Amino acid sequence: MKRLIVLAFALALIGAALATPKDTYVFLQNSTFDSLDPVQAYDGASIGVVENVYETLYTFKKGTPGEYTPTLATSYEVTNNGLSYVYHLRKGVKFHSGNPMTCKDVKYSVQRNLVTMPGDSGAWIFGVLTGYGNDAMTEAKKALGDNASQADIDKFLDAYWKKIEDAVVCDDMYTVRFNLSHPDVAFFAKMLFTGAAVVDSKWAIAHGAWSGTEKDWKDWIGVDLRTGYLHNHASGTGPYKLVKWDGNTVIAEAFDGYWGGEPAIKKVLVQGVEEEATRLEALRRGDADRVDVSNWATINAKVKQMSGVKVWSDSSWSPASAHVVFFNFDVQGENNPYTGSGKLDGNGIPHDFFTDINVRKAFAYCIDQDAIFNDLFEGHGAWYTMALPTTWPGYDPTIPIRKLDLDKAEEYFKKAWGGKVWDKGFKLTITYNAGNTERQTVAEMIKANVESLNPKFKIDVVPLQWSDYLKAARAKSLPIWPLGWGADYADPDNFIHPFYHSEGSLAKRQSFKNPEFDKMIEYARTLVKPEQQQERYDIYKKIGRMAYDILPNVPYPLQAPFIVTRDNLKGVYYNSMISGDFYWKDISK
Amino acid sequence: MLNYIIRRSLQIPMVLFVLSLIIVGLMQLLTPQQRAAAFVKSDKQIEHLDQIIKKYHLDEGFLVQYELWAREVLRGNLGFSRISKEPVTTTIRKRLPASMELALSAFIPIVLVGVWLGTIAATHRDGILDQALRVVAIIGWSLPTFVMAIWLVAWVYGGLGWFGIGRLPNSMLIDLATGHFHRYTGMYTLDGLLNGRWDVFFQALKRLVLPATALVIVVSAGIMRVMRSSMLDELGKDYVRTARAKGLMQKAVIYKHAWRNALIPVITMAGPMLGRMIGGIVVIELIFNFPGLGEWAAKAALQLDMTTLLAFVMLIGLIMASANLLVDIAYVIVDPRIRYE
Repeated sequence: MKRLIVLAFALALIGAALATPKDTYVFLQNSTFDSLDPVQAYDGASIGVVENVYETLYTFKKGTPGEYTPTLATSYEVTNNGLSYVYHLRKGVKFHSGNPMTCKDVKYSVQRNLVTMPGDSGAWIFGVLTGYGNDAMTEAKKALGDNASQADIDKFLDAYWKKIEDAVVCDDMYTVRFNLSHPDVAFFAKMLFTGAAVVDSKWAIAHGAWSGTEKDWKDWIGVDLRTGYLHNHASGTGPYKLVKWDGNTVIAEAFDGYWGGEPAIKKVLVQGVEEEATRLEALRRGDADRVDVSNWATINAKVKQMSGVKVWSDSSWSPASAHVVFFNFDVQGENNPYTGSGKLDGNGIPHDFFTDINVRKAFAYCIDQDAIFNDLFEGHGAWYTMALPTTWPGYDPTIPIRKLDLDKAEEYFKKAWGGKVWDKGFKLTITYNAGNTERQTVAEMIKANVESLNPKFKIDVVPLQWSDYLKAARAKSLPIWPLGWGADYADPDNFIHPFYHSEGSLAKRQSFKNPEFDKMIEYARTLVKPEQQQERYDIYKKIGRMAYDILPNVPYPLQAPFIVTRDNLKGVYYNSMISGDFYWKDISK
Repeated sequence: MLNYIIRRSLQIPMVLFVLSLIIVGLMQLLTPQQRAAAFVKSDKQIEHLDQIIKKYHLDEGFLVQYELWAREVLRGNLGFSRISKEPVTTTIRKRLPASMELALSAFIPIVLVGVWLGTIAATHRDGILDQALRVVAIIGWSLPTFVMAIWLVAWVYGGLGWFGIGRLPNSMLIDLATGHFHRYTGMYTLDGLLNGRWDVFFQALKRLVLPATALVIVVSAGIMRVMRSSMLDELGKDYVRTARAKGLMQKAVIYKHAWRNALIPVITMAGPMLGRMIGGIVVIELIFNFPGLGEWAAKAALQLDMTTLLAFVMLIGLIMASANLLVDIAYVIVDPRIRYE
């Protein structure tokens, strides 16, 4: 008898793994959450939860990042020559706390961004409402200097508060008006960012958040919201309410008062599991419905062998980012370690080495785009003709791509700098951020191909820490470097301006200036009306075509997106602007 | 003896102080930018490194940084963990039970298996069994913990579908979060029993088997080797020969006479064993998705979270120093000839 009990106990312990129930969705991801406060959340994992618990005024249509559908608003209009956006709010919407959603909550939520503006958040996106991209104290220091008197600072802060107050106005209980400091063609798209998700103001204030008035706004300037109540508690209007955030696990359940109807999945668990092998085995055993997988190589080697598992992918899917190799038109820095002697003497390059289009073209023909696509991404890549996500309006797929052609590269190197480059040779350093295999491969590929053309061509490939890499790029000291850019909001201006405008955050680092580009981009920014959008997109296509000839940078393929789930999960789609790729409410089993 | 205990206890704060100096000092070897970059979760946040440096005083010198930390600690505030996104003390309160549950479930098997196999090897000296056990011990001792852990996850859990990973099945975690389940101790096995939830008890126990097994294999190998050589020493001594000459049975000679004395070096090993076990737990929690203090510390080390690392090192320092003190006390109990002045 005793033996039987021991045997039964052992069998119970061994037992088969429990598959997740039909109404439950379990997602094991590779990272943990930074903050569930909509203002502070600026990483994919956190936003992946926030976007299901809170809602913005409009949201993305399934699978199409360039198309939108109303959620907490029912319609909107642009007035006052693009300086005002008026949203008409949906009536009868309730927060998880039971409080009704009104204009007051929308105003509170957006103004909370403007008041706090934590430096490491995405609150700067709404800076167009005040004309400031930093928190009030940082702006005061910038404007008045470090030695300003308290009276001057107070005066500055008063004016700053006035701008916050005027920026969001409730015309009535269900009409909200946003007044911009200057026209911004991307404002509508910016309002889709989860920073503008509507928070239950009554509930938040009751739990010690900013009061929503001038009385205590100064106490909240630049505050790290990770120490606040909204950091790990939530009351939104979304289809799911937060039950628990326990370190690296978020548990949510369907909100039965959701205005859009109750979703099929009633319970959700999202957990950060850093070890990929652990995630994969949990998927295999049915302990997880979806897991993060690092790359296609792992999918081909391990995931495809698993039964009951589905890999979702589609040739039309493309990430909301673009990666390019930048050329610096005016390398800065005395004794720059990346440009050797600083002269075209065979041991370095001059600061303006890349201003010669022949040099840029020669380098472009040394990038083996097919190898990146086929070897690095195992044939699952997305081609890029310009620095804009391929599914976004304004992208032109007809622009040709320069692929590996060493004959052409040699031809252009021979023409470069009147033949001096070929005769004397050069030496430079390509850097990448340590640990980034993709950028390392691109850098080493350029080195191998360029050096194969002429023994006088010497390239060093050097990894730098992320912070040092960006610091060097910002200091304009890197001659040539691969880097990517991910979308902040779903408007092509978020790519076209940084990459192609002389004041763009990326183009500035390479001292790239093209007056024609600047003119076109600035004009496009004035096209704020819905009926002008096609014209705007055509301008971006033209810029893409011109960029092929001017060649300020070389876009290269990215890994094609994929989603790995158990095969009983239905309704999965991919939208590059949704952090979790799809909303939980749209799936079922 | 009491004087000795008091003196040794007073050394503990000094050990913790030196440990904290080392951690803060090591962090200073990195530039403020490198430390600030560790705060960043998305590429876009890296644009605001300067603000992060100012906010967290990362550009201040060693003494200022140490003073900032120490002043808060003296007020009872261990700081905010960037890894768990909550106060360090809250995280320790939440995660310590998980690590304790794992450590306790592994500790007794580690000692029993190590001592038992060591005794068998010694009593079968140079025989096939001894040779085989010695090979097993060498393999166990030299096997990296993560290799053993990954193998158990991939083969036993993934391949055979036995036991499980995590502390509980995910669907059960959801049920416990949304239903009524009181967490008396934070250890799911005990809390399952206290709540009358046998299903929780069984699932929690089931999920302890693989991580505990990994620990037992890796840690008990060391004990086995020490026990074997210690037992061989004792078996060669005069009092054992005398016992045999008296005609005592082999079992009585081994377990009544030699065994107790052979245990003394094993107790000496308890300190290092604890260290190896903590090191093992750090890796094992990470691989078995077992959210305890080890997993937290491993992530903190990877992301240069100084506040978390300091708290973890302080805690481990305290545990190790206390364990060594207990070992010294245990000597007296096992061998009454030992006296501390």
